[in-house]
Amino acid sequence: MQDLLYFFQQLINGLTIGSTYALIAIGYTMVYGIIGMINFAHGEIYMIGAYTALIAITGLATLGIAWLPLILIVALLCAVIVSSSMGWAVERIAYRPVRGRHRLIPLISAIGMSIFLQNYVHLAQGSRNIGFPALMEGSFRFGSAEGFQLSLSYMQITIFITTLVCMTILSLFISRSRIGRACRAVSQDLGMANLLGIDTNRIISATFVIGAALAAVAGLLLGMYYGSVDPLFGFIAGLKAFTAAVLGGIGSIPGAMLGGLILGVAESMTSGYLSGEYKDVVSFSLLILILLFKPTGLLGKPEVEKI
Amino acid sequence: MNTSVKKLVTAVSASVALMAAGQAAAEIKIGIAGPMTGPVAQYGDMQFSGSRMAIERINAAGGVMGEELVAVEVDDVCDPKQAVTVANRLVNEGVQYVVGHLCSSSTQPASDIYEDEGILMITPASTSPEITQRGYELVFRTIGLDSMQGPVAGNYIAAQKPERVAVVHDKQQYGEGIATAVRDTLNDAGVEIAMFEGITAGDKDFSSLVTKIKQADVDYVYYGGYHPELGLILRQARQADVDAKFMGPEGVGNKDINTIAGDAAEGLLVTLPPAFDQKEENQELVAAFAEKGEDPSGPFVLPSYTAVQLIAEGIEMADSKDPFEVASALRSGTFETPIGTVQYDKAGDLKAFEFVVYEWHADGSKTPAN
Repeated sequence: MQDLLYFFQQLINGLTIGSTYALIAIGYTMVYGIIGMINFAHGEIYMIGAYTALIAITGLATLGIAWLPLILIVALLCAVIVSSSMGWAVERIAYRPVRGRHRLIPLISAIGMSIFLQNYVHLAQGSRNIGFPALMEGSFRFGSAEGFQLSLSYMQITIFITTLVCMTILSLFISRSRIGRACRAVSQDLGMANLLGIDTNRIISATFVIGAALAAVAGLLLGMYYGSVDPLFGFIAGLKAFTAAVLGGIGSIPGAMLGGLILGVAESMTSGYLSGEYKDVVSFSLLILILLFKPTGLLGKPEVEKI
Repeated sequence: MNTSVKKLVTAVSASVALMAAGQAAAEIKIGIAGPMTGPVAQYGDMQFSGSRMAIERINAAGGVMGEELVAVEVDDVCDPKQAVTVANRLVNEGVQYVVGHLCSSSTQPASDIYEDEGILMITPASTSPEITQRGYELVFRTIGLDSMQGPVAGNYIAAQKPERVAVVHDKQQYGEGIATAVRDTLNDAGVEIAMFEGITAGDKDFSSLVTKIKQADVDYVYYGGYHPELGLILRQARQADVDAKFMGPEGVGNKDINTIAGDAAEGLLVTLPPAFDQKEENQELVAAFAEKGEDPSGPFVLPSYTAVQLIAEGIEMADSKDPFEVASALRSGTFETPIGTVQYDKAGDLKAFEFVVYEWHADGSKTPAN
């Protein structure tokens, strides 16, 4: 019974991290699906979302407001607004001017933007880890008190539910709304969409904005869950989320979700049953294996060459 | 030659002449290399604070052999690659003495450069034993070694007669080094080690590690590494109801761990250098720090002060600015410093240095643990 509880605990840990990777991975996958470009600055947008949420929460605390739902909603709104604007700005400054040129140029531009944003936050906020106040503590406990107890914290439940809600809203948006239909059209064939009268520039900006908003949500959630932020943590998270997106099939939104969950659970299980040292080795080996046997990822569509 | 070339030549010669005149002011450059930015910047603050105070006071007392000390401060971000870059910069600026670096993983590669170029280096904070085990002549410390610190922690834990202990480290030179030393001490004392694991520095999610610790049902967890990771581990462990006591080396003992871990930091055990700022002999110095608005209680402040003082006294004793002669003087002499009486052995380590076990509190204060 103890072993079973331990397994479930590691599974819950894995699904929690996985959900957050999924939220960030969606940003990568949507941008790639539409313009075939990896947005390396996305991890930094996530980090900026976390910092903005922290500033909002600290600001509200100094004003004396203590009601948790209000704090969370205000922090979420601030983070989403700032991150979305950043996402939009990054697209206009670093990607739109170089669209259509050789593939390497937007890539280098993206990396440069990533470094710029890291250092900007570094200069503005200092390089030390800043603690996130513990807003949601406490958990549900299962199992006997003497042996191993399964604990499902409120924060973990919040992360699951928020991820599910975001995924559902996004899927409905893409499949039912007009802009969603335009996004699908642009990702199928950019030139044709232009000819049919879709304003592709606006759609591309909208894609970046949606991705950034989701990253902001992830930033708030993870800041609260882990308890500290620093300017460089976006880079690592971005790398993991990018891996998740490729694992699930880059360009496919359900793929990003699946990839994120698989990656999170793989990391957690390795850490729990083997050793924490091999966590990253296993995650990336998994990626390599899947790409060897299914190069487009798990749910990716095979690239059809039109002759 | 036309007029503009003539003007250029005149301008260049004038500035060369000015520069030559400027060199006439005699000064001794002391490089101070440590993290000004990055996750462990507050330890760097201690290093810079102590060194600057020493330089000020020595200059106020007349300097060294009539010459002023000048600080050349560089930032290594506690990163080995950056450490090598700034070490090369110091070499280019003609610096002959360095107080630094702070992190063992930075000091190690930088010391290779200093030894090659004949530059004297005194580290006020790097405790990894490997730094002085390579037979270098110009490398010294004003801090103890992990081969001393590890046993202090290990023996303390063993004396509490725990059932099982977990040892965790961050896979870096300092963290893994001291965790290994503690593990070996515990093995010798016959304590059961339930797990010896590494985590990656910079990670934020330790939920699997915490779950594993919970499963292993240990009484003590020793963590080798720095406070950003331990703060998060403490916080996540308390949330998961892990009731083991945590212990760490001096790399975790600073107030930032309270902002990250909050109440979970209460009861953390830390091995630290003794509180030099509480010794009677140092009260005048402590008052000088207070006047500047700086805090001398950080573990690396007075060791950094001592490093500068030793360089100054070494130069005077050797009556020469040659780093090799200063090094011989340091090895042969006995010096009275804020960290006590200093004597060096052949490798450049202090002959006597003790670490004390403290209990850390949620408000950032510490009390000696019994």
